[in-house]
Amino acid sequence: MSAPLWITGLGLVTPLGIGVERTWAALVRGDRAIGPVGLFDASAQRVGIAGEVAGIPWPSGLRGQSPAWSRASVMADAAALEALQMARLDVGRGRVGLVVGGTTGGMLETEQLLARLHAEPTRRDALAAMLSHPLTATGDCLEEHLGPFARVRTLSSACSSGANAIVVAASWLLAGELDAVVAGGSDGLCRLTLSGFNALSALDPTPCRPFDRRRRGTSLGEGAGFLVIERADRAAARGAEPIGELAGWAVGSEAHHITMPAADGIVVASLIGRAVARAGLTAGDIDYVNAHGTGTPLNDAMEAAALARALGAERARVPVSSSKGQIGHTLGAAGAIEAAITTLVVARRTLVPTGGLDEPDPALGLVHVPHVGRGVPRVRAALSNAFGFGGMDTVLVIAQPGVAARDGKSVSATGVAHAVSRRDRSVAVTGVTVFGPCGLMGARECASLPGQGYATDSPVDPDAHLDAARARRLDRAGRLGAVAVGHLLAESGVTGADTGLLLGSAFASVDASAAFMHRIFEKGPRAAAPAEFPNLVPSAAVGHVSIYTGLQGPAFATADLEASGESAFVQAVQLVRADEAARIVAGAVEPRSGMVQGVLSAIFERAPSRASAVRSDLAAAILVEALDEARERGARILARVEQTLEWRGDRGDVLAPLRAPRSARADVLLARPGDGPDRLLASTPWRAANRISCAPALGESDALGAVAIAVASARIGAGIAQDALVLGLARGRGFAIVLSGG
Amino acid sequence: MEARDSGRLRSEIKALIVSELNLKGRDPETIEDDVPLFGAEAGGLGLDSLDALQLAMAIEEKLGVHIPDAEEARSIFRSVRAIAAHVAKVRSG
Repeated sequence: MSAPLWITGLGLVTPLGIGVERTWAALVRGDRAIGPVGLFDASAQRVGIAGEVAGIPWPSGLRGQSPAWSRASVMADAAALEALQMARLDVGRGRVGLVVGGTTGGMLETEQLLARLHAEPTRRDALAAMLSHPLTATGDCLEEHLGPFARVRTLSSACSSGANAIVVAASWLLAGELDAVVAGGSDGLCRLTLSGFNALSALDPTPCRPFDRRRRGTSLGEGAGFLVIERADRAAARGAEPIGELAGWAVGSEAHHITMPAADGIVVASLIGRAVARAGLTAGDIDYVNAHGTGTPLNDAMEAAALARALGAERARVPVSSSKGQIGHTLGAAGAIEAAITTLVVARRTLVPTGGLDEPDPALGLVHVPHVGRGVPRVRAALSNAFGFGGMDTVLVIAQPGVAARDGKSVSATGVAHAVSRRDRSVAVTGVTVFGPCGLMGARECASLPGQGYATDSPVDPDAHLDAARARRLDRAGRLGAVAVGHLLAESGVTGADTGLLLGSAFASVDASAAFMHRIFEKGPRAAAPAEFPNLVPSAAVGHVSIYTGLQGPAFATADLEASGESAFVQAVQLVRADEAARIVAGAVEPRSGMVQGVLSAIFERAPSRASAVRSDLAAAILVEALDEARERGARILARVEQTLEWRGDRGDVLAPLRAPRSARADVLLARPGDGPDRLLASTPWRAANRISCAPALGESDALGAVAIAVASARIGAGIAQDALVLGLARGRGFAIVLSGG
Repeated sequence: MEARDSGRLRSEIKALIVSELNLKGRDPETIEDDVPLFGAEAGGLGLDSLDALQLAMAIEEKLGVHIPDAEEARSIFRSVRAIAAHVAKVRSG
């Protein structure tokens, strides 16, 4: 029987106001905060209005002092702090995790640097501004200011990032690994997203009007939302009260199109059905829907179709509203901001309206809450929807505490009902693929990969392995990933329908973002390329690969600098262990990058030999599967996942809990040799194990950690080793993964 | 003379379609003047609205001709011949 999950704290920074109460009061009044952009010059944009946050509360003493803090991080910090204070939760006591979703990180600050570089290409003095660029910067800032947290994760699934942060939190809590998690999302306005959404003609020239017959697009917004979610037993033990209950959720991918939702809404409808069933509820228990409701003609029609399909006759009873007409579309923060709003709707029995809805579109057939909020007798349970580019969709069910049925049954991510406490939650690796200078390698070849030397300067050609017509939208990362993942699926004999996808990347599409901005600096925002823009979101490769290979399970990108592949793998293990998916493809995709080689490597304190090393095109994919389900389908098991550790900071004793190898045939797999691993391993039972580094064979890449996991699994599968430890280290963080045979 | 010009314009548009929409391996000259570019019609190119936006931007940038939004664009983007006619009309206009 699973413990209920209580929401005990909320934090909001929105264009309507700083803090939960200011935002709530303005929402209910029907205020709208969408107007001319003042953060930067938007006069040449087709549409130059958005929801901007005024008076961002910088932590004392930080403004202008620390280049690692972007506007997005400051908003996240304020919202997470408010949520912690509301929950009266002391991060230092107990096991408290942090999950941050986002899309553009410090892009506004990066743009200022790029503008200077555009004017003076040889200038290198202001590069420290790039410290705030990686998506991980926000989690790092919060760890520094509000931590230490027991675990920190950064993820992106475009506009469902904030909702998926909440799902990750739930999976951690249900697996019993943590007592409480602060989860949410943050995104700041920037030229890149405003230009990109304009290029897609996705913006309404007037403040957006979700569900209105005259709707012409969305409006962008910015902000942050965080929730404190706890296991009810732990929360009650410390005397905390629930604001609401996170009762159900479902995550899936449409595998349809990089920018457009599938018009029939079938995937979203099935996710709504699964999320409601997971809560032990039916459509008759849902009293409110906080819609994704972007205001684009296609989204709102798709969402209405999905609601019709999922709610049936109840659709005529259940009021639906979208907060985007008041705060705009806050992208990576939207899923979390709107989950927090939905929690307040449930707790305060007050519906929030749809701003700008003057003429409801009769074709949608929805029950609306136009203009202003209103009190209702009860809101037993409510849906919060979030859909991202690439068709990454998430549905949350938030209920009054005690409303959700607890009958010991649950519906897993695959839609199959079974007892929650599946006894064997062991996780196995059932396939691996590496694609790079070594060519395309499966499990058999990977076992001997590090012993070879490959021509790291010769180009890798993904196109030889891809269908040109179907791959035409894929950027280089998408192509490398599609080849690796496609080969992995073919070798493993699994189809995509219930398979998830988690790919890590240190800096995602930083080169393409820089090129996109240079074009805008040169020719103006109207020259922004519509086809390029969807490739700039950190989850672009995940979206492309899921579409190309038909993967429909949970999908998102993780970011942890050069340990991003390790974080994707560890997160996949955690999700499978928590029964959020039967199997997940995890890995890393890192195309050769001039920005990483020329700029970011130096800033992120990498050894000069590494910073200047020629970088390889590299992708690695690992199939992570529940051991019992793998056995059921007769899969070949390469290795079992015995243990995963992850940490922040530079403490020397982080490997103390590490299990000893069971045999003398033990490998330690490293991305690259170095003092860091030597120092950490010295006091462990693995110090005498056979040490193997992947960099000498493949060249430098931020995907080497994922390669190390693939090689370790392959060597155990081939009987060369019996045990393996993969040690993945990056600036201020690390992962340890213990694998074994048999 | 005029016919040769419009033939050249159509070739230019075909080349633009192949390069901008990344139709790798496709010989631009195999795109027929009247084949439907958008939608799922049999024998058509099967392009979608994201392609339309990209193509509109490229035509504006490379050929210097603005493509209006929405409904009007739909009829202009019917075929290579229709795009060429619009470009020629705007240029002579």
